[in-house]
Parts: sequence; structure tokens; C-alpha cells
Amino acid sequence: MAYTPQYGPGTSVVAANRRKQMNPGQELERMRSITEEDVVLVLGHRAPGSAYPSAHPPLAEQQEPECPMRKLVAPTEGAKAGDRVRYIQFADSMFNAPSQPYQRTYTECYRFRGIDPGTLSGRQIVECRERDLEKYSKELIETEMFEPARVSLRGATVHGHSLRLAEDGMMFDMLQRCVLGEDGVVRYVKDQIGVPLDRPVEVGKPLDEEWLKAHSTIFHSLVGTAYRDDEEYVEYVKRIHSLRTKYGFIPKEE
Amino acid sequence: MTDATFPQCRIVPLRMLKPETSERLLTAIAAIPGIRRIMVNGPGLPATVPYGPARGSPNPNTNRQSIRIGDTDLALRVQVANVVIEMENASVVDALRELCDGFFTAFPYQLQTGRFMKNAPSLVDYTKYGPGVNPDLIGLADPRSRDGPVLLRERDC
Repeated sequence: MAYTPQYGPGTSVVAANRRKQMNPGQELERMRSITEEDVVLVLGHRAPGSAYPSAHPPLAEQQEPECPMRKLVAPTEGAKAGDRVRYIQFADSMFNAPSQPYQRTYTECYRFRGIDPGTLSGRQIVECRERDLEKYSKELIETEMFEPARVSLRGATVHGHSLRLAEDGMMFDMLQRCVLGEDGVVRYVKDQIGVPLDRPVEVGKPLDEEWLKAHSTIFHSLVGTAYRDDEEYVEYVKRIHSLRTKYGFIPKEE
Repeated sequence: MTDATFPQCRIVPLRMLKPETSERLLTAIAAIPGIRRIMVNGPGLPATVPYGPARGSPNPNTNRQSIRIGDTDLALRVQVANVVIEMENASVVDALRELCDGFFTAFPYQLQTGRFMKNAPSLVDYTKYGPGVNPDLIGLADPRSRDGPVLLRERDC
């Protein structure tokens, strides 16, 4: 019988959302549209329209050593062209953001190729070849994994994911890279490292609390779904914890 | 050393406040008789990017503004998250609670009582003010800042 991955335990809506994001067979809901030029502007790695700087000659032009792995694994577009490795980093508010660092890493590993994610408590960075990065970034920003007020692109100075929200519902950002306009639309006025942009980049309107609660992948007992309410999840984590603790003592069967 | 008998309380709104809201709140608090000291706390909003690739470049931020309390200007360097208040006597807490009940209508707040300000000079106070510091200054200003606390005269409020 063919193996069917389960992606994760749990009976709650949070667990279901986690599984949905991780499962590459499930299409993520497209919530907004952002142009490729806007993605390039917010990333801040190159000027829009400029050529991709390269780290090495295209694979077709260089002599590849004889290697069975290279025959097995097809290079991504960025690797084929010899692009530089660049990054995108997200900070997700604990107040019902639609994704969170570990979730992002799992999701990206299931959905994308040629990536190197870095997972921290309040931020998640993913590195890959530049043209692959732009393609992946567009998907991460346009789909339900992004929310203009609770998720933010932050290359540096990420503090804010665990703070209370501002009065207008925006996550705290010391550099105020994105601003909620009077028309209710969030605009990035700085790129992800805090350099002011020539023109603002619109990422749409913040979504309402109902939507956030229904699409969150974070357990939160005060504003969302409590972890302890998902008995299956608790049981699973307890089991893993128990097994790895016991294994630390290298138990021997009598 | 600060007289430890002065009661203190802390207002913690569920959301961090905009400068305009902070101005209205602080003006209303300062107008209550019996307030000795007010300290505004929150995450910092530096004028320049402090670290990262854009380090040293200007950091325009609509939340870093100058607000006016009575006749006195106060340059906000933080996004207001908590307001710590020292009072002449504990009965002022009731007036503060009444004020907050009317003020925070869009989102809830907590009013906590306890000790929230330093009552003895620490090493940073010693390096900033030297020996024999005025006890009312302790714990009020950011030790890294060159500015002192803002003084509100009673007739300003």
C-alpha cells in the first residue's frame, strides 16, 4: 500500500490548517495579488528590471564533474543560471497569524525545492537562489500564509511577534516598514531591511478576526484555539516527549 | 532614596497606544490631583536604524512624535505600552480606574497595583547622575538617554 503522509496530528481547526499548509496536494487560497516588481522592491536584493547577479557561470557553460546525484536531481531555475543565494524573512504575530516559524519551515520543505530555511522563535528565514526566491516569495505573500497586519517581512530588526498589537491592529515594528493607510490598505514604505522605497508597495487590507481565527496555525488560549483543547495533539506531543526522554537514558528491555 | 510608602499602579491597555491617544490619556491622568510621577513604558522607536544592513540610516516612524501635555512638550521615544504612576495616596487609584473605564472603550485594559519603579539608585543611575541623586529622578529616565524626565507644573495640567 502506498504511503500517505499525515502531516500532523490534531482534531482542532489549527491542526487542520497546519496540515493544509504542509500538504503540497492542497492548493493554498490566493488572497491578494502582488506584482513581481513589487516583490523585488520589498525584498531589496536587486533593482527591479536589473539582471540577476550571478555567483557562478550557468551550469550549461561549466564542466560538471561526473556525479550520479547530479544526474538524479534536476537543478532549479536559479541554480541552473548560477544566481546568488538571497533570503526572505517573516515575523508572525502570536495573535492568530496564519503561519508561524516552524510551520513555515515544514510547509516550505514540502512545497519548494532548493531552499535552506532557518527557524527561530519569532522569525523564519528562507534562503535560496534569487530567481527561485522571488517565485517563492510571491507565493508566500499572495496566499493565505500571509496577512498584512499580523505577518511582516523583516530582514533585520524583527522584534514584535510576541508584543501586544498596536491600536490599529498592526504588529509592532520598530522600523515601521509597513503602514496602515486611512483607506485601510497596508503599504510597505521600506524594504525588508528598513531602507525606504521609492514608491509604496500595497499588500492589501488586513483580514478580520473571524478569518484569522479560522485560518491560524498558532494555538493561543486567549485569542484563538487553546492547545489543551486539542486532546489528540497533546497526546501526540506527550508521546514524543516521553519516547525521546526515555531514549536519553538508553533503556534496555529486560 | 524614594519613599517606599508612596503607592504605585500601572495601566496596561490591551493594545499599544498611538501618540494621539497617549496624549489624551496622559493629559487626563496628569489632571488628576495626587499624581507624583508618571513613567511611560514601551518598545523603543529609535531615530536611526540601530543594527542590520541599514544601520545608521534615518528611521522615520509616525509613532515617534512629540505630544503635548498641558503646556509641556514630551518627545515620545517609545510606543506607549504601559503607564506607571506613583501617587500621593492610594485613593487616587479609584480616580484613575474611573478615568480608564471611560477612556478605554475600544479595547480593554488592566489596572495593576504594586511597585513598578526603582526605589534605590542602581549602578546605571550612579553613572548617569553620580552620588547624591534626587530620589524623584531614580528610575524615570532611560539611562542611555541624555535627556532628563519631563516636569509638569500643576497649573499646566
